[in-house]
Amino acid sequence: MSAEPVTSARPSGVLGALRQGVLASALPSRKRWTPAISFGVLADICVVALLGLSMWLIVRAGEQPPILHLTFAIVGVRAFAIGRAAFRYAERLASHDAVFRQLATVRADTFERLVPLTPGTLDEQSRGEVLTRLVDDVDELQNLPLRVVQPLITSGIVVGLSIVVVAILSPVSGLILLLSVLIGGGLAVLASNRVAARSEERLAGLRAALAVEVSDLLASADVLRAFGALDAKRAAVRAADEKLRLAQRRTVSGEGLAAGVLSLFSGVATLAVLWFLAAGGGPAASGMSAPLTAALIVVPAAVFEVFAATPVALQAMRRVRASAERVDEIARPDRPAEIPDEAAGSDRWEPVPGEPLVELSGVSVRRVGAERDTVSGIDLRVAAGDTVVIAGESGVGKSTLALALVRFLEYTGSYRLSGVEAKTLTGRAVRRVVGLCEQSPHLFDSDLRQNLLFARDTASEAELHEVLDRVGLTSWAAERNGLDTRVGEEGALVSGGQAQRIALARALLADVPVLIFDEPTAHVDPERAQALLQDLLGAVPADRAVIVISHTPVPAELVRQQLTLTPTGLAAG
Amino acid sequence: MKPFDPRLAVHAKAIRGTLALGGLLGVLKTLAIVGWCWFLSQSITSLIEGSVAALPGLAAGAAASVILRSVTAWLIDVNAERGASRVKEQLRQASLDKIDELGQSWLGGQSQAEVTVRVTRGLDALDRYFSGYLPQLVMTVIATPVLVLLILIADLPSGITVIIVFPVIPMFMILIGLATQGVQDKQWTALTGLSRSFLDVIQGLPTLKIFGRERKQVDRIRVLTDEYRSRTMKVLRVTFLSGFVLDLAGTFSVALVAVTIGTRLVDGSVLLGVGLFVLLLVPEAFVPIRQVGAGFHASAEGLAAAEDIFDILETRPHQDSGAIQVTARGQDLVLDGVSVRHRPSAAPGAAAALAALDSADTGETRIGPASIRVAPGEIVALTGPSGVGKSTLVQAAVGLLPFAGALSVPGAVSWAGQRPALIAGTVAENVALGDAEPDAERVRRALAAADAEQIAPERVLGPAGSGLSGGQAQRVAIARCLYRAWRLDAGALLLDEPTAALDRTSEARVFEALRAEADAGRAVLIVTHREALRDRADRIVQLEGVLA
Repeated sequence: MSAEPVTSARPSGVLGALRQGVLASALPSRKRWTPAISFGVLADICVVALLGLSMWLIVRAGEQPPILHLTFAIVGVRAFAIGRAAFRYAERLASHDAVFRQLATVRADTFERLVPLTPGTLDEQSRGEVLTRLVDDVDELQNLPLRVVQPLITSGIVVGLSIVVVAILSPVSGLILLLSVLIGGGLAVLASNRVAARSEERLAGLRAALAVEVSDLLASADVLRAFGALDAKRAAVRAADEKLRLAQRRTVSGEGLAAGVLSLFSGVATLAVLWFLAAGGGPAASGMSAPLTAALIVVPAAVFEVFAATPVALQAMRRVRASAERVDEIARPDRPAEIPDEAAGSDRWEPVPGEPLVELSGVSVRRVGAERDTVSGIDLRVAAGDTVVIAGESGVGKSTLALALVRFLEYTGSYRLSGVEAKTLTGRAVRRVVGLCEQSPHLFDSDLRQNLLFARDTASEAELHEVLDRVGLTSWAAERNGLDTRVGEEGALVSGGQAQRIALARALLADVPVLIFDEPTAHVDPERAQALLQDLLGAVPADRAVIVISHTPVPAELVRQQLTLTPTGLAAG
Repeated sequence: MKPFDPRLAVHAKAIRGTLALGGLLGVLKTLAIVGWCWFLSQSITSLIEGSVAALPGLAAGAAASVILRSVTAWLIDVNAERGASRVKEQLRQASLDKIDELGQSWLGGQSQAEVTVRVTRGLDALDRYFSGYLPQLVMTVIATPVLVLLILIADLPSGITVIIVFPVIPMFMILIGLATQGVQDKQWTALTGLSRSFLDVIQGLPTLKIFGRERKQVDRIRVLTDEYRSRTMKVLRVTFLSGFVLDLAGTFSVALVAVTIGTRLVDGSVLLGVGLFVLLLVPEAFVPIRQVGAGFHASAEGLAAAEDIFDILETRPHQDSGAIQVTARGQDLVLDGVSVRHRPSAAPGAAAALAALDSADTGETRIGPASIRVAPGEIVALTGPSGVGKSTLVQAAVGLLPFAGALSVPGAVSWAGQRPALIAGTVAENVALGDAEPDAERVRRALAAADAEQIAPERVLGPAGSGLSGGQAQRVAIARCLYRAWRLDAGALLLDEPTAALDRTSEARVFEALRAEADAGRAVLIVTHREALRDRADRIVQLEGVLA
């Protein structure tokens, strides 16, 4: 985790941004970077030198010297020609290698930052979408070294060097080149920044509005059609589309404008140098050789070609920064008060004999960012062998309570596990006692075996089969590929009911004394819900304490205690 | 891959104008480039040869060329951007028109999120096709032949050099492409696989934490990413060769021309002014093709995005079938031997267990034929095993799916589907959906009847009705169904699992509301598995084993 101090103020400038947040971990170390930058500088030097030297060669040849006097220039031109292509190739390989190496660090850092925050800080409904976006944003961070910092450094060095060399040969020409790079570059960057930043901001809102309309249209197409509202919605989509297009028409391209400005100033610099050298009376009067004069006139064009990378890099910077801000927002470095400190407390649970396995008194839990407690005044006792059902309207906070019981959310009041206050234990220690079968259990994109083994990696093949049998998956697995059955990306090949059974199998392998089911029938056809509940509860060994959170009625013979969660606490019935 | 898909011009007419204007600008830009090279080379020559008198005129020509070059470069960019936005709009609207035409039977078989991305964010890939590829393609077609021809005219040996070097580029590109095609595909799979496995781990983080596995994953991420790096680098070494060839062809032809002109200048067989002109012109001849090479990937992505849209546009609609017969209010709701072709949806759990495979078609099943009759004032509960097609029949009865058989409805029908399918806007807008002049009082009464009086009508919902819990959303959907029934004085109500997300108290109140509708002379059909509803219904129709 980042040790940098965290401020809420947005850092200003490129360098300010680099020092903070996730961007800091996106930059490779100097050692890894040196080869890529060196090759880049050499390649760009070849660009400038090739043009200058080939011009020198031709004008010198026009003076018809002995051919031997040209050998050096001929060899040089060929070398720069090959050098440019070869160094560029080497640069691309070196920079990609450095970036991929860094990617491992960025990903691991982001993951580590997310560990304490998940799932508490993420809204259940939008979680999938937020995380998909996060992964895209983390990928975008690769562009910081590759398309931002490296081009800036490389072109900065080569443009600076070229200006110095020109200034040594002809101080005024050097000054002209310097001024035109500063003014032209400044104008290009300014134009591109102002125009693009303004339009990006406005267009982003319009794009999002269009996406909302289209997604509503398609997701609710049946209802819209049945209610005769399809045409009105189509009109709304068309209006949003039209608005976006008109806005795009009004905004001129930042990139195109910058390129145009640079092209103009490249010409201006060339002509200014030409004019200055001509005003001095040309090579005959100034004493400067004709070949050198010609080379000085064409070099500005090559310098501007190298400089053109700068506005493009700054544009990429904006995108990278927007991504970094989003990553920092989700994987934020500070822990909100509603999230418990993972590491605090003892890692060993020493149960007090005679105390109830789970005992809550006056427990309140608050969702992250909520102004009031989401649930409060919870009193509950669950002994080994008990099955408690907690019912209640969706949205009343049943899942929030479940998250607190596995210490994903902080609680106030008293929550004891066999007499030990949960707060005095680490999160990991609590979760070795209390297991959770989530509402949408995550199935990793792998086979069934791996999805079971990570709950207890010492489990034998026989134990895996036994637990599958217990949760009623034997024939399901046998019809497929046994333990080698792919459960697919996001478990797409597995129905909601089977996913719950796999989740239970994992929990049974982990062998926790307390087991919580959070809405196990949420993703199951209504008509299959009851049967699934019966199967799941029947599979749990009799000595466990079970808490079932469900709005689907649970068969009475399986239940020891039936409670309903209301905003003020748990009530019987 | 083709450089340009002619279907773009068929489905998005805007691209024709963009291409025409782009071509015109390309001609102007070519003119500016030639002018610049000519005037600059002549200026330098006259400066060196001491004929200063001609300089001001030549310099003015060069200045004019440079201004023209900058302005056309900028206009080409603006034209590309506008073209992109217009083409995107045309493709989007055309595909939405097509989706309307294809109807629910097509959309039901698609992942709606995926289609949404296809017609919105997916199309944005065309931006880079338009800005980073198409103008360069136009320039390659217009500028390159002109420049090569000029070089030939100015100095035959240099022109021949360029003509020899030029074909080397596409030749090498093709050779490298052939050699790396398989590897590149693998690399692409590896790269996307890498992001996907990271996403997999992040999404599974709560699960990992439950089992105390989060620490181990950090190392795994490092190892996996590094494995992918070494594999990817092996491929990149070959992939980047194409860039190397492009660079080398450009620079090396400059070197070749410079050296041959130089040696011929020494023996006086070529003039300095011509030599300089050719030297400045040669690199310009290679610029467009190099940029086309660089924009190759952007173009492939853009065309793939367009391809996704063409897939929609070129889908054939279903054959039309039976029309719903509308009888007078007070008549029965009748399904007589109704059967529906049904493409199982992509969502899990919707497998049509009892439906027979339709041998003639791919992956389609046929639901029915089924016969149901509901009299006005009667509440009928429709039950049956999962996947037998209850929802499909109900959707056919409200005109969402084509069907075979006879179907008659008593006047207007109102419907509540299995999903609430709310839209962004206020609760009141959702309840009064389809009503051009919403009636606030009726909205309030509908919410109250659906046991949702605690949900404020003015409350604003996000996309897909986000902001409400599942139970709340379902009650708003029931209120929406009641509102329409009252507004149109519907003769029938069809509700699909209306109480699946409700507790027993709410369920009872919703049933009371439905009883009141039946008493008002409407035929009420409820698809349900809930015992409470089945017990209170006037009649139960069991749907099973009736399939072909």
